[in-house]
Amino acid sequence: MLDGLILLGQGIAYFLTFEGIFNVVWATLLGLAIGILPGLTATMGVALLVTLTYNMEPAQAILTLMCVYLGSIFGGSRTAILLNIPGTPASAASSLDGYPLALQGRAGFAMGLATTASTLGTLVGIFFLALLAPLLTEVALNFGTYEFFWLALFGVIISGQLSGSDTPLKGYIAGILGLLVAMVGMESLHAHQRFTFGVSELSAGIDIIPAMVGAFGLAEILGQIKRHAEMRPTSVTDRVVPRFGELFQYWRTILRSGVIGTFVGIIPGVGEDVGAWSSYAAAKRFSKKPQEFGQGSHEGLIAAETGNNAVVSGAMIPTLTLALPGSAAAAVLIAAMFIHGVRPGPMLMIENAAFVYQVIAMLLLATFANLLFGLSLTRLFIRIVSIPQERLMGVIAVLCVVGSFAVTQRMFDVYVMLAFGVLGFLLREMKYPMAPLVLGIVLGDLLDLNLRRGLGLTNGDWTPFFTRPISAVLCLIVVGTILLSIPAVGRAGRRLVDTMTGKRRATGNS
Amino acid sequence: MENQAGQQSTRARADLLTAVVLVILGLAVFYYAYTMPRLEARRIHPATIPGLVPMALSAILVLLGGLLGVKAWKSQGDGSWADFFAVFRTLEAARAVAALAMVLIFALGLVGWLPFWAASMLFLFVFIVTMEAVLTSEQVNLPKTLIWASVTAIVAGAGIYYLFAELFLVRLP
Repeated sequence: MLDGLILLGQGIAYFLTFEGIFNVVWATLLGLAIGILPGLTATMGVALLVTLTYNMEPAQAILTLMCVYLGSIFGGSRTAILLNIPGTPASAASSLDGYPLALQGRAGFAMGLATTASTLGTLVGIFFLALLAPLLTEVALNFGTYEFFWLALFGVIISGQLSGSDTPLKGYIAGILGLLVAMVGMESLHAHQRFTFGVSELSAGIDIIPAMVGAFGLAEILGQIKRHAEMRPTSVTDRVVPRFGELFQYWRTILRSGVIGTFVGIIPGVGEDVGAWSSYAAAKRFSKKPQEFGQGSHEGLIAAETGNNAVVSGAMIPTLTLALPGSAAAAVLIAAMFIHGVRPGPMLMIENAAFVYQVIAMLLLATFANLLFGLSLTRLFIRIVSIPQERLMGVIAVLCVVGSFAVTQRMFDVYVMLAFGVLGFLLREMKYPMAPLVLGIVLGDLLDLNLRRGLGLTNGDWTPFFTRPISAVLCLIVVGTILLSIPAVGRAGRRLVDTMTGKRRATGNS
Repeated sequence: MENQAGQQSTRARADLLTAVVLVILGLAVFYYAYTMPRLEARRIHPATIPGLVPMALSAILVLLGGLLGVKAWKSQGDGSWADFFAVFRTLEAARAVAALAMVLIFALGLVGWLPFWAASMLFLFVFIVTMEAVLTSEQVNLPKTLIWASVTAIVAGAGIYYLFAELFLVRLP
């Protein structure tokens, strides 16, 4: 415990230099701007910025990316409140009560409330990150090849199940497509080239950064240009900074949403939007005034913003301890960490424990900067929204090309970006979620390698995949998740629960 | 409500077409994975062959594609294929296709043929003018659009070039 505090103190002190503070300031401002602009997502911002961090020292590079990530999740609430258009998908729930507050002439107060709730949400998440990361690392050290196989499969399945907006089927399909993309290139067990068709550039596989820039950048540009939404923000004339009492009365909501957001963050690939909606739904369920939700409820706005920001810290738990991304943006962070020579996973706490606490320090600094800028520069940021979409999307398109090229300075990555841009656009238009696709690309190698290595160790015997205790639990979760997504099984399960609870009630009554 | 039913019917038809593509893709991947070398000469255990996981994944893709196809077939509703193809003849579709075409011309044609800064400026100017003044249903002040397109193209084109090529020392094509 004391060691952790010392490492955290050292982590904060490490960044309290001119370079560190400068990076926090510009990256947070950029992140807020990305979040404010509808169409630019946190994942896209982080993916585009990876290119600009190549020449930086590793910790400063990750600090910069973390500030952009957190800033864009913070900033997304601005447009949700002012325009009823979420700046990022994570802020969709915030528009339900934020926009009605803006229509009542309380846009400034709503933004202040959202900013403060976001800060508190991140702080709850940071607390759990500091508490759970070392514990999870200890558990993960007992993981073998069988457990890692199930973990990879669990990541893709749960992400597909929870992020498929239309039907879980589309989430699963997106996940399988991502896993198949990961099969391209030289496989890790026997060094055999798969699906390269003689193209030498494919032998190293599909690089995640250009793929993400395409799937989240170009695809989003095409979608925004197609929709052509006109933006007219409501004006801000009221008080921005909320009073202590106005927040304190919702301490239960803040704590509950922070916990929900953190645990949603831990689930691989699920992301900030699910964190916001789950927290919002829970707040409405436990609220004394549920009828006010959707009409400008302070509690609803606080729940959504606390929930989505807590996900960021929560997502860092599996990212750092298992190298399993908690969200799509965290998948890019993993790629960036590898680029900068940091290897996330169970060994990180042993090999480089200081880095884990540096990440906590990064989150704290980014949160503080967001609070400061979020409350003081509200009126200035609103001007960003008035930039016409066509000009902005053109500039982002140039950045997508240059960003994907700069990864390895070869045109092949630009072709990958373009291919994923088109694929991502088509899939999005047909309501396929992007998170399972990304998670599939990231986890494909883990799944493939561990399945075949495990089978190799047992001479083709599958038994250890089902009999080892952690494997068995993970297997049950995966099978249960798949079964519950089948409508007939779901209905049968509900009937069974109803029958059992009915019987229990009847027994209780008698 | 009728519009919602129409959208559902269009979505179902899109899902049906996607399902066909997914099944074909799954079968093709399965074939390539099945015919992948088994590396017997290297005494590789059959349970660790390189094609094992792609075979399993492609089989699942065929299954999921089939399920999607069945689901889409059942929920086609009263709409027709003509309604479905009408989606591609809207202004929205034209904007998306034009944007994609311009990005492809920029990335595959202009970059490398012109210096990067010039290619970016040309792309930005044409992109903004096309989207703001040509493919729009709104009243346009053309001189204003041309001025703003020029300013954005010059400032952003030069800015991006300076940032990447000069500050971050990326050897741009």
